[in-house]
Amino acid sequence: MNYSFDFQSVTRNLGPLFDGLAVTLQLTVAANAIGLTLGFVLALLLMSPWRLMRLPVTLFVEFFRCTPALVQIIWFFYCVPMLFNVFLGSITMGILALGFNLAAFNAEAYRASIQAVPREQLDAGIALGLNPVQRILYIVLPTAFRASIPVLLTNGIVIFQQSALVAIVAVQDLMYQAKSLATQTYRPIETFSVAALIYFAVSFPVTQLVDYLERRRLAVAG
Amino acid sequence: MRDQPAAPLVSASGLQKSYGALKVLKGIDLTMKPGERLVVIGPSGGGKSTLLRVMMGLETINGGSVTLAGKPYIRAGATPARTVIDIAVRRSIGMVFQHYTLFPHLNVMQNLILAPCKVRGEKKAKASERAAALLSRFGLGEKLAAYPSQLSGGQKQRVAIARALMLDPKLMLFDEVTSALDPELVGEVEQVILQLAKQDMPMMIVTHDMWFAKNIASRVLFCAGGVIVEDGPPEQVLGSPKEERTRDFIDRVFHIRQ
Repeated sequence: MNYSFDFQSVTRNLGPLFDGLAVTLQLTVAANAIGLTLGFVLALLLMSPWRLMRLPVTLFVEFFRCTPALVQIIWFFYCVPMLFNVFLGSITMGILALGFNLAAFNAEAYRASIQAVPREQLDAGIALGLNPVQRILYIVLPTAFRASIPVLLTNGIVIFQQSALVAIVAVQDLMYQAKSLATQTYRPIETFSVAALIYFAVSFPVTQLVDYLERRRLAVAG
Repeated sequence: MRDQPAAPLVSASGLQKSYGALKVLKGIDLTMKPGERLVVIGPSGGGKSTLLRVMMGLETINGGSVTLAGKPYIRAGATPARTVIDIAVRRSIGMVFQHYTLFPHLNVMQNLILAPCKVRGEKKAKASERAAALLSRFGLGEKLAAYPSQLSGGQKQRVAIARALMLDPKLMLFDEVTSALDPELVGEVEQVILQLAKQDMPMMIVTHDMWFAKNIASRVLFCAGGVIVEDGPPEQVLGSPKEERTRDFIDRVFHIRQ
């Protein structure tokens, strides 16, 4: 292969890529805001003693966990407007699709760590006279929330990467900008390599942070 | 000691507890006078820990009732799910568990003052003062800011005892509190319990440590197969048991320990 690399064609055009990154980060932050809050509410509903409350939530969570994110995004963009006659702007629709997807995964993370709080901790709470609400507020949630942080962060960074999928419905994120730049410059190798590097540069510190938190948690538990 | 019938501190009658088809407690009657220190011994699965958990109100029951200082606080309903537990009375009982059960996200001081502040509405400054005094009495004066993960098993268990004492219990329950400890840490925890015994704290202790049982008990119960097989002063139950089942158990325990 005698391809001569020309990274300047990309470095000259970093502006649009960074504009795209800003949109990507906006999608990520907003989706995480939905994912962290809605996910928590969903987790509580998943553990509800009433089956009528659990059933729809289980369906919601399993729908988002068991279908490809790409299909969910396309469904949001094309089917929701046709079925319900609403379209809220492409970024908002992207945020909702990614946010609901993340909420489903985070709900499972919250549920797992809430249920992993040892029964003995609750017994100790009863023995100390704490009422059920106090036991949840002061024992279960702080312990469970700490335990779920690594998974929540991992899910959050996965959504950062999944957000590249919204380029397909013309949200002008990093991936979208990279695609148009590659078409303009006829330099797909250089453009997509730089785009990948930008995704990597954001994700890598977070995965390292997750590793660090995991190690520290294991050290504390041991 | 039966000449003056003091009003019982605890009185349990007909306690029954089943897990599905498995009957763990088969009708236990028990009275305990103020200042008594009951040690419950017996084989694993004999119901001694379950008995303690029932007294604490951690279990539903299939039959029977328990009173504390004359006030009934646990009563079986038509089904185990309907077991009636008086929470106000239950609050005057403290319990320490085998596995420490300190709250890992709170430091030692916060572990101690959580319940007094939240349950009794005590002022934080006041509770902290009491906690600091209690901890220094237990040799933990340096550990107020430490987190449970930074403590040894013996220290954790002493903190757990202090935490239970913060609510001024009328009765303390100890459920195999030294079983999870390394042998060299057992002594420091038992010393703390002996200290409480000197102050006439009524207590019920489940233990496998016969030396400790002999040292602290004012009365020993041998519990096996869901019933109390023998009940008497430590010299009798541990020294010359009347019942054959008790004798078998004591012989086996002391053989293993030789």
